[in-house]
Amino acid sequence: MAFRDSTTTARAPRVDNLGNAAGGRGTRSGPWPVVVLSILIAAFSLLPLGYVAFMTGNAGWDTIQKLVFRPRVGDLLLNTLGLVVVTVPLCVVIGVAGAWLVERTRLRGHKIWSVLLAAPLAIPAFVNSYAWVSAVPSLGGLFGGVLIATLSYFPLVYIPVAAVLSRMDPALEQSGSSLGLGPWKVFFRVVLPQLRLAAAGGALLVSLHLLAEYGAFAMIQFDTFTTAIYDQFRSTFDGAAANMLASVLVLFCLLLLLGESKTRGNARYARVGSGVQANPPRLAMGWLEIPGQLGLAALTALALGVPLFHVARWLILGGPGIWTGGALAGALLQTLGYGLVGALVTTVVAFPLAFLVIRHPGPVTKLLEGANYISSSMPGIVVALALVTITIHNVPAVYQTAVVLVAAYALLFMPRALVNLRAGLAQAPKELDEAAQALGKPPLVAFLRVTLRLTAPAAAGGAALVFLGIVNELTATLLLAPNGTNTLATEFWSLSSEIDYTGAAPYALLMILLSAPMTYLLFAQSKKAAGQ
Amino acid sequence: MTTSRRPAPAASPVPAFAADPHHVTDHLLVGGVRKSFGGTEVLKGVDLTVAQGRTTAIVGASGSGKTTLLRVIAGFEAPDAGSVCLGGVQVAGPSGWLPAHRRSVGYVAQDGALFPHLTVGQNIEFGLPVRGRTAAPRVAELLEMVSMDPAYARRKPSQLSGGQQQRVALARALARQPQLMLLDEPFSALDAGLRVATRRAVSKTLSDAGVTTILVTHDQAEALSFADQVAVMRDGRLAQIGSPFVVYTRPTDRATAEFLGDAVILEAWMEGSLALCSLGGIPVRRPPVQGRVHLMLRPEQIRITEGGNIRGRVVDTDYFGPETTVRIQLAPIVVDPAGPVDPHQPVGGEVISIRHWNAMLARPGTELSLKVVGEGVVFPWDG
Repeated sequence: MAFRDSTTTARAPRVDNLGNAAGGRGTRSGPWPVVVLSILIAAFSLLPLGYVAFMTGNAGWDTIQKLVFRPRVGDLLLNTLGLVVVTVPLCVVIGVAGAWLVERTRLRGHKIWSVLLAAPLAIPAFVNSYAWVSAVPSLGGLFGGVLIATLSYFPLVYIPVAAVLSRMDPALEQSGSSLGLGPWKVFFRVVLPQLRLAAAGGALLVSLHLLAEYGAFAMIQFDTFTTAIYDQFRSTFDGAAANMLASVLVLFCLLLLLGESKTRGNARYARVGSGVQANPPRLAMGWLEIPGQLGLAALTALALGVPLFHVARWLILGGPGIWTGGALAGALLQTLGYGLVGALVTTVVAFPLAFLVIRHPGPVTKLLEGANYISSSMPGIVVALALVTITIHNVPAVYQTAVVLVAAYALLFMPRALVNLRAGLAQAPKELDEAAQALGKPPLVAFLRVTLRLTAPAAAGGAALVFLGIVNELTATLLLAPNGTNTLATEFWSLSSEIDYTGAAPYALLMILLSAPMTYLLFAQSKKAAGQ
Repeated sequence: MTTSRRPAPAASPVPAFAADPHHVTDHLLVGGVRKSFGGTEVLKGVDLTVAQGRTTAIVGASGSGKTTLLRVIAGFEAPDAGSVCLGGVQVAGPSGWLPAHRRSVGYVAQDGALFPHLTVGQNIEFGLPVRGRTAAPRVAELLEMVSMDPAYARRKPSQLSGGQQQRVALARALARQPQLMLLDEPFSALDAGLRVATRRAVSKTLSDAGVTTILVTHDQAEALSFADQVAVMRDGRLAQIGSPFVVYTRPTDRATAEFLGDAVILEAWMEGSLALCSLGGIPVRRPPVQGRVHLMLRPEQIRITEGGNIRGRVVDTDYFGPETTVRIQLAPIVVDPAGPVDPHQPVGGEVISIRHWNAMLARPGTELSLKVVGEGVVFPWDG
């Protein structure tokens, strides 16, 4: 019997009202000055990419053929590809295994290990290279490159993966157990798949660093595209050959970005609700305790012990004389100056874009963000090459001035500021601005007293990371620094290139000391950010 | 462009023209307001009048445009067409537009929107011209107004419960003695028990202060219990405006009837002021149409009785503790073959749901007699 039900029930609309208010109405493009600024900034950040495209287009097919399809490029391709293909999986394995050991097992001392595994990030790759060359003077070739790169860059995988592991909702693992999986099966079938996004993001960062690194590989005379472009540029200056190599390098970067976005698909980085944080379960290690401890000890000895030991050794060998060379204080001051100015400029420049992304998401904003993401993935050598050529030809007034160098820093490190500003702005929803306006504050005052105030800590965190990047930046600084400007990195580089290893040691120490607190900040921040 | 008057913080919130307490003034006038976002018209010509010191609830499903209307009144959005007058001053319309900070309007958002970097006290004094020690007595007074201990002033918003946060948000909004208070679903983030208590507290505070209030909500029960006037919003328009009793018992269309509560809808034949349906002849006041109609009754109007000629059999029940929802299939109406044939004679057999306190009485299969209390409402037959 079919019932014709004549009673209707009051519809209770769901709480999707919230999403409606936040997303559905925010599609307008935002205040026009901010939009114009953001477009200008995005256009500026596209300069290096545009330069490479323009140069390649201008060169003509014959030149491209002559300059790209030759044995030398084949060698570089082999070296660079080999480096990426071997180093990235190594970094992923070490990073994920390390993260799992310190976050998910009852390994003794896991708190100390968790910091020690992130610490190698405070040692610039070229300082690491310098230490290893001191230890093993014959180090070189693909093996040397892979060794130094892996030891320098595995924290780029370790940090995000550890962050996700420590914040992962234990309920998922409990569901796995309740479905009859043992702890190891839970790890492989429930936990590991969730790390994919963090690991892929880390792997992309490692690959981009590998493509961009100059100092570490030049020190052991292992040729990659970046070292070759640098040498080519130094010898021929503004030559078509350097440009062509740069376009191959850029092509590589674009392929990597494409590959990473494919692995990521439509999934978002793990988000855990804002609810009460339960502690994820830790596995008993049993007989695996000893191999685990030994493995971590060996890793730390290689990645931290070797560089610290050799820097210390050169310092002791050099005695007090190496501290009074005169250039040290100047280099330190200039580094701090560039670091502070660069961090400030980068944060200010990134603000309009971050503001649009959070407050006025839409197709235009997405495009601007994408442009910035791609352009800031360009290696420092390409950015430097583009800025040198453009300033010489179009704005000679600023050629080899601090302005250009700061602009290069802003281009290179904008994502660091952007990521932090975005997180900060997300903590300052527009409703708070509106509440201030409803309380009689004009929009600008409301913005200053609420939004800017709430974003300040995140902006400072981002600025600190930009500062860290600038302190350790070598490639672009070498090409763009005004005459007479020496940063810690460039001074270290010129001394160690002259095999004055004792003279270089104080610079290495200062860079490590400056980087250490920032690295800790990055580490601490990643733990918080993973939950958002 | 005119400017709104900003009352001094310590001055009376009641504007001069409302000096006579018995004279109810139209305090807020919304006329023909339209607003589109990216080609989608969200408000399609809204007219609303709110009297001085009264409480109006705008109720509607999500996406109906109610929050946009509130934001237009608050001054966060400018309407594409139409006007908003507040206390006799046009704040949006052909002569210009006043932004939120220059209107004397209080606003409480869904989650309170307390500034997380400020203490409760600093939040409350945010809109005041004085701060710190000078503002302390006023802050204490406002906290007491929302039934909170003045000691809370030193706490951070994160140390408060959801209900306390909402009360602080209200105190903050009241600090400037606004002419009009806008509440944007302020209770929906609270859990059920807290929601009712907070709603009562807020309602009492506002009526004690005599502030004209508009509440936006998607919760029909909240709208009916909170307000003197309920405006039902649907698809960018106000479908009906009236007292809670009128909009609930005499909705103007079927969608409003169904939105505001459970409804029993039956096919009926309207003749004069009597609707003939399977539940008998139901009186209808001022029926808009005659002939074939939909008749709407509230489930609580249908009672189980001893004896009577309207009969039905219990199909199934849902037990809720204090009451039980009983689904009843009405008995088919047997037509006397000898009698005259009436083509409008109801046939019976519909299934209706009613509520009853006695779960024991209504076991599936039980035969019951029913009667209808009060009047029905009819809507034109739409096929």
